[in-house]
Amino acid sequence: MPLLPEGEHPNAPAVGMEVPTGTLELPPALAAAIGPFAGDPVAMAQKCAGDWGARFLFLSLAGCHPDGGGLSVSFGAAVVREVLSSTPAPVIVGGCGDEEVDARLFPAVAEAAGRPVFLSYAEEKNHRLVAGAALAYGHGVVSWSPIDINMAKQMNLLLADLGFPPDRVLIDPLTGGLGYGMEYTFTIVERIRLAGLSGDAALARPILCHLGDAWKAREATDASEGAWGDAGARGPRWEETTGLACLAAGADLLVCRHPSSVARLSGAAWR
Amino acid sequence: MALTAIDIYKLLPKTNCKECGQPTCLAFAMQIAAGKASIDLCPPASDEAKEKLSAAASPPLPKVTIGTGEHEVVLGDETVLFRHEKTFYHPTAIAVSIRDDASDEEFSSRLAAIRRLSFERVGQRISVDLVALRCASGEAGRYARAAAAAFEATGLPLVLLAPAGPLAAAVEAVGPSRPLLAPPPEDLVPAAKLAAERKLPLRVRARGIEGLSVALADARAAGASSLVADPSPETPREAVTDATNLRRLAILGRVRDLAYPSAFDLGGGFPDPFLAAALLVSKYGSLLVLDSADPADLLPLLTLRQNLFTDPQRPIQVEAGVYPIGAPSGSSPVIITTNFSLTYFTVRGDVEAAKVPAHLLIADVDGMSVLTAWAAGKFTGESISKMLAECGIADNVTHRTLILPGMVARLSGRIEELSGWRVLVGPQESSALPSYLRRLPPAAFLPVHA
Repeated sequence: MPLLPEGEHPNAPAVGMEVPTGTLELPPALAAAIGPFAGDPVAMAQKCAGDWGARFLFLSLAGCHPDGGGLSVSFGAAVVREVLSSTPAPVIVGGCGDEEVDARLFPAVAEAAGRPVFLSYAEEKNHRLVAGAALAYGHGVVSWSPIDINMAKQMNLLLADLGFPPDRVLIDPLTGGLGYGMEYTFTIVERIRLAGLSGDAALARPILCHLGDAWKAREATDASEGAWGDAGARGPRWEETTGLACLAAGADLLVCRHPSSVARLSGAAWR
Repeated sequence: MALTAIDIYKLLPKTNCKECGQPTCLAFAMQIAAGKASIDLCPPASDEAKEKLSAAASPPLPKVTIGTGEHEVVLGDETVLFRHEKTFYHPTAIAVSIRDDASDEEFSSRLAAIRRLSFERVGQRISVDLVALRCASGEAGRYARAAAAAFEATGLPLVLLAPAGPLAAAVEAVGPSRPLLAPPPEDLVPAAKLAAERKLPLRVRARGIEGLSVALADARAAGASSLVADPSPETPREAVTDATNLRRLAILGRVRDLAYPSAFDLGGGFPDPFLAAALLVSKYGSLLVLDSADPADLLPLLTLRQNLFTDPQRPIQVEAGVYPIGAPSGSSPVIITTNFSLTYFTVRGDVEAAKVPAHLLIADVDGMSVLTAWAAGKFTGESISKMLAECGIADNVTHRTLILPGMVARLSGRIEELSGWRVLVGPQESSALPSYLRRLPPAAFLPVHA
């Protein structure tokens, strides 16, 4: 069981933070905490890995998405290079989500990265491109599936078929925020972890949960409902509760958006 | 795990002697498997059969009830360790504390705050279940009056956290409301006798699972039987570890002497109560006492509980049909989505947020989300066109334009072909609906002259 002092837990779960790029619409509670840094990925990266205690960074290149700011691929690669040289913290680089742009972005990022990173994410359609770029430059890959244990397994088998080293693969099972699908993620994380522990090699990979979806919940940001209590406190609580449920299910890596979640969740990232 | 009829049949004498009132041993085995008959009805049964079947018949974790009527709280009665194995049956009960030494004014405003910890979410009521009354005054009379006032004001069952004297006085005042007696460890035996005499549930508190095995035996010896076990951990990690081990002992180990629902007092200076509470809702906490009455704490915890204790096999769904949002007219937009309650409430919330009156068509897809329903072949060009024709929307609007969820844009051609309606592809995410709806050109909804 996760969280319990039994069996070997050589590695405590790692709590990291998202470093955004491009145009941002931050809810007030989030803007208050990360607003001054969110526009400058390098400064944000240093702040996350420094004062805010993130053990790894998820550098999202959503800014390169046509609707996310339309930053160029070369700009994205440059940001990766600068962030990697500005902090020793491990980094996962997230694509922008647009198929055509990512087809050029992932190879550029793989080449620009001065040290090994993880590329996020490979899924059925693009896994040859992403895995190829990662293999060529010694990076890892995050394998994505839509809250479906069979597709999670199939993704890892596809990567294995490409000869991708299993110890450089993380599983992203798609994390629904509290109240908006979190229980589906909770059950899939438990099932993936149990399968991996009881001998299913294709599922024996660390599991990564993005907590950002929690901020899409009305209850996390809506200040008009007086009965729900102070929205400033509720937002971070919503992300924290999503993270605690993921830890209880057995997640190995959590990506937070609010600094207070990093501190709070690290208090439950037990070895 | 529960034994099947065949497993039980193998243990029976198989002589069809009918002493149990059943025509054959196999029929009797089926009765036992369904929990409708007990092995005691079969005198010739072997000792092994009696021992195995009496344990197997009752659930691995006994049921404990607190309170009565609509506010009754049920703890325990669980059969699996992971929700995906079947389901969890009884959500973690949450009690918020109040002190009997508060001034009248503080006391009533605190009760009002506790009453407000009740929310409507996805068509369900989620709320705090109990009031935990702490005896800080040490006076039996004052404590009993506070108990009566708390029950009177909230109607919620009480957790009576008090030494023997005040506890007895409170039971006189609110006994019929079936409170949970929660004495300190040193007053366990007198409280157990009181619980036995009044047939009330009792919280047994001791240090760790070893301490509990002794204290639970003492409580049973004093005649109490409806018990919840509090291993009084000192840290959140200890709490989750104890809760998990107690549940495993019951469900996997079938250790009857420790098989009780778990209870945790996360108030009174317990470190990081919110973190502990969220982890215990996720992992085997049956009853939690919290000192916080802040909705910013309780709403996420109650939502977490609502999520994890939903039966994975039966997603919550809403009635299919046409739902007017705001006061829609003949030229208001028509939007379609599916009858999974989370989808319905999310989309409805976003349409309301857009402040654009609209007709919301909810398709019957056995409670799946848009993408899942499409993948399962329940949300198709055919089914949507059929609904457009049969649900009567054509009489409510003068235009023939349908807004389709962006995730299933590929269906638009088929729908236009089959239904004759014009299809606009809406956003991928419901959260983008407000901006999408506000930017819609009115020309899209001009009357058509069929």
